[in-house]
Amino acid sequence: MEFLLELLTEELPASHIRSALEQIEAGFRRELAEARIEVRRLETLATPRRLVAAGDLAEGQEDREEVVTGPPLAIAKGPDGALTAAGRGFARSQGVDEGLLETVQTPKGEYLGFKRKAKGTPTAEILAAAVPRILGSLSFPKMMRWAAGSFRFSRPIHGLVCVFGGAVVPTSFEGFAASDATVGHRIAGPGPVRAVDLASYREALRKSFVIVDPSERREIILAQIEIALAPLKAKAYPDPELLDELTLNVEYPLVILGEFPEGYLSLPIEVLSTAMREGQKLFSVVRDRKQLPSFLGVADAPADAKGLIRRGNERVLKARLADARFFWDQDRKVPLGDRAAGLKNVLFQEKLGTYEDKTLRLKKIAAYLCDKLGEAEVKEAAVEAASLCKADLLTEMVKEFSGLQGRMGGLYAREEGLPAEVHQAIYEHYQPTSLEDASPSTPAGAVLSIADKMDSIVGAIGIGLQVTGSSDPFGLRRNAHGVCKVVLDRKLRFSFPLLVDRILAIYGDRLTLGRAEVKAACLDFFAGRLRFMLEKKGYRYDLVGAALGPGIDQIVDAQARVEALDALKSSAQFEPFILMAKRIKNIVKGLPSAKVNPDLFVEKEERDLYSTLSIIGSNAQPMMARGDFARAQGIIFKLQPVLNTFFDKVLVMAEEKKTRQNRVGLLQSIAKMLLGLADYSMVVVEGEKAAKSKPSR
Amino acid sequence: MSVQDLILGLHRFWAGQGCYLAPTYDLEVGAGTMTPDTFFRVLDRRDWRVGYVQPSRRPDDGRFGENPNRVQKHFQYQVIMKPSPAAIQDIYIQSLRSLGIVLEDHDLRFDEDNWESPTIGAWGVGWQVLLDGLEITQFTYFQQCGGIDLAPVPVEITYGLERLEMFLEQKDDIYDLDWSPDVSYRDLRLREEKEFSEYNFNAASVAMLRRAFNACQKEAARLAAKDLVLPAYDMCLKCSHNFNLLDARGAISVTERVKMISQIRALVNDIARRYTTVKDGA
Repeated sequence: MEFLLELLTEELPASHIRSALEQIEAGFRRELAEARIEVRRLETLATPRRLVAAGDLAEGQEDREEVVTGPPLAIAKGPDGALTAAGRGFARSQGVDEGLLETVQTPKGEYLGFKRKAKGTPTAEILAAAVPRILGSLSFPKMMRWAAGSFRFSRPIHGLVCVFGGAVVPTSFEGFAASDATVGHRIAGPGPVRAVDLASYREALRKSFVIVDPSERREIILAQIEIALAPLKAKAYPDPELLDELTLNVEYPLVILGEFPEGYLSLPIEVLSTAMREGQKLFSVVRDRKQLPSFLGVADAPADAKGLIRRGNERVLKARLADARFFWDQDRKVPLGDRAAGLKNVLFQEKLGTYEDKTLRLKKIAAYLCDKLGEAEVKEAAVEAASLCKADLLTEMVKEFSGLQGRMGGLYAREEGLPAEVHQAIYEHYQPTSLEDASPSTPAGAVLSIADKMDSIVGAIGIGLQVTGSSDPFGLRRNAHGVCKVVLDRKLRFSFPLLVDRILAIYGDRLTLGRAEVKAACLDFFAGRLRFMLEKKGYRYDLVGAALGPGIDQIVDAQARVEALDALKSSAQFEPFILMAKRIKNIVKGLPSAKVNPDLFVEKEERDLYSTLSIIGSNAQPMMARGDFARAQGIIFKLQPVLNTFFDKVLVMAEEKKTRQNRVGLLQSIAKMLLGLADYSMVVVEGEKAAKSKPSR
Repeated sequence: MSVQDLILGLHRFWAGQGCYLAPTYDLEVGAGTMTPDTFFRVLDRRDWRVGYVQPSRRPDDGRFGENPNRVQKHFQYQVIMKPSPAAIQDIYIQSLRSLGIVLEDHDLRFDEDNWESPTIGAWGVGWQVLLDGLEITQFTYFQQCGGIDLAPVPVEITYGLERLEMFLEQKDDIYDLDWSPDVSYRDLRLREEKEFSEYNFNAASVAMLRRAFNACQKEAARLAAKDLVLPAYDMCLKCSHNFNLLDARGAISVTERVKMISQIRALVNDIARRYTTVKDGA
């Protein structure tokens, strides 16, 4: 039977709509599953003013046979098998014929009871109770109260449609009784709209200028863009995020093609597209990769018969572009080097100082990284880029369009005629801004990107700014992901803990926490972020844990380690080897470290193990040092048979103390070598899985 | 339609919605929100409806009369309705229609935009209202003011009068607007914009502004301690304007900025708390 729910609200932010639909779908699935209502179809739809769920549900719960249990048989029946007073009382109280009573087996013994048919609850009744629960538990990143109420929601609520099988479900939410009537488009068709199921609701709304299905609105936008651009033989510059957002911003999409004066095409494309996108949510129009003096907007209206919507948007864009042109011309009058002097007046963070302070640190960190990475030839460029990279914060353009920070600095540096290495490094030093964004394309850009982010992270942790759950005021997670991504993308080898040491030294006594504490917290934080990134790439959580076990001296090694484990995990040697490694770790756990003296070996098997270990070790060590963990692991597997024989024939905990310590020492050196590869004790093998903990967040 | 027709139209409309039409407040403020007709009246539980024109001074936005959109003083039409009426969006839309705007020919959008003012410990949730892409109104359900959770919740509707007028007159330059049939915005405001831009950015005495900031701050604290909350709040407004001037002059160092804003906020929060706890006999 058809089910339809609409919550009518004031205009919801696009991000809230996405999250609400997920919560609503999950809520209905959970409630209906718990109530044993069969869900044949369930979908969610939305406009900026409507959250909609619709589906095909069973009419009610299945009728069931249930067993009613009474008193224990010993009490209910006498020795002769006849009902006692208690037994008869039970039958009377349940209104059941004594002839229908029977013996019921329970874990606690035999009881008197009977079977009866239970009528299933109708779905409408289930929905009536579930709807207010589901809607009432929706949560949003920012919630508000309104009028005299204390209820919190994304935006104020205006009505509830809830219909099942053509009849209104007797329910209500926050004072709105469910009905089968809603309203159409705010301006174009506000009259009442009646609906009994999804099909009639869709069509009635369509007549009132509301397309309720976001995917249909998206198709309409794309089709209208194509029609609008066909005569120009041009394309909209692809911007899937903007398309998603606009799809959720309008009830009845109308694509508007407008123009701006050609003179503005001399502005950098970054500036043009930002002015269009961030101010007015407009798409750029390109032909053969060249920007045209046109834009596409999406209005919420049936038509623009008089061209007023187009002209209005053209006027607003023209004013913005005039501003941008003014900024572009003004900003270029002051060289970045001169502008950077003003950074002493711009606060980076109260305790961490100004952007001038940060710039001085960045120069040192960039120089250090170039040395460690063997990038001597770009060192000069990286340091110069570091000294200039924050100067654009003082340009009018970045004050107006903060999203252009970094990129503007790079463009202005290019206009000044600075070397390509310098202006490119400035241009891309904020990259990557997310795990999906590209890493810097140049060595100097990569160095500056890492330096900038690491300075922020070490500084923030050093003054006790905590990252907790949803709160990350300084963007530390994003920054840490950026650092890891650049290192992994470019396969950069440098000691991460030493970099942290260096930055701590550069900060000097500005930080409020002790250096050892900050360093430990940084390493911990990065291990956590790497764990998140590697698990997100699809590696098994226990393998990620094992790969991070040896620590993160080299960030690239964490990934190389997990890749090696992942490649080998299905080989026949893997599990027996893991079990062996765990066994060794258990034996040596807590024992004082002991030296191995080959002269003290007694048995042939321990001598064999020792010599095999020496050969394998000398082969595997250089592979590990250069991060080739898969090959190192392959070689180390060869210890397995020798170890098996060793454990078969040799008693590690020998009576004689020197013999015992010598054998322990031998196993300790194996454990130490294995830890250079991974912490195998973290790997979960068959049979252990149930007992181990869940993957991390 | 001239600017004064627009003001008259809004006055008539909001008076019809039961708003008291307040005279413009006689101190420099950065936004209509900061005058006592909004700041204090949203704090308590009593119903409140008001509409007024308020010049809004933003010294840093001065452009020496050379920018067609930006000025260091512009005019806001401020409406407060407490509690927020259920149909407030429809009422707002009617206000636009009452100005002769045929909305069927345009694209009206409520676009997510949450507002906050750290100086007066205030924030709210709402939208910027866009008409064919032009921001004409800030529409906010006020959640907190002076650090106090507001109940009932007021709605604040702030029209940018110049923006709306540029839309109504279909003009691209603010100075081309007509204030009345005989007086243009240029006649009234161009010289003021030039001179005040010069004052804001170059001529204002930093030493005098600092003294004034400090003196007003002390006075605000002294008056607040005597529960003279309205005079104390006036002193905070003066602090805020002096701060904005110092900022435009580029005279505020980084650490100072944070300190000065938090000093004003602490005073304002204290004043708000005293306002709600001290009975005024009403």
